[in-house]
Amino acid sequence: MKNNLPELRARHGMTQGALADALNVSRQTVNAIETGRYDPSLPLAFAIAKLFKCRIEDIFTARA
Amino acid sequence: MSPTAIAPVKYAGRNYIIEMAIVSLAYAGVAGLRHWLIAQAPNHALAIAASVLPAVPIWAMFWVVWRYYRRIDEFEQRRFLETLAISFGVGSSLICTYSFLADAGLPELAITWAWPTLAVSWALTTGIMHFARR
Repeated sequence: MKNNLPELRARHGMTQGALADALNVSRQTVNAIETGRYDPSLPLAFAIAKLFKCRIEDIFTARA
Repeated sequence: MSPTAIAPVKYAGRNYIIEMAIVSLAYAGVAGLRHWLIAQAPNHALAIAASVLPAVPIWAMFWVVWRYYRRIDEFEQRRFLETLAISFGVGSSLICTYSFLADAGLPELAITWAWPTLAVSWALTTGIMHFARR
């Protein structure tokens, strides 16, 4: 999956560490998601979408 | 697993180190006193209990690892299980290889060597995978 998490996070003025704390995951996990090395589970994707008040498909899209 | 774990994920590593240090110290203490305790035991039942005493912190180590696994997030859990699977393969293959070498005349080792062999292979695999994933 592709994602626009770095842009979304920057728009909200959050560091990777702050986002990790808000989601109760490690900073390495946020980094792995942002760089496309890890696709989050559905519960974590929902938690990210809820935090940024948007839909999952606004953040994650299938890689063409 | 839900992203909201038992305790904040960022403390998982620190808590693991503290808990593992406590049970490791307990193991060292019990293992050091074991022969003295066996000698002091007034009957055979207590001697058996004293001889098996080091197994208690060993089981506690397993419990500490399990607690760590439950505290980390889903990505860390996946990496943890990958590392554990590889290290189990390496460690069990090493044990099996040595058992064939023992048939050829190398000294027979006690079965208790299996546990530290697996632990060391896990530690080495964790270190190698840490650098490989960078």
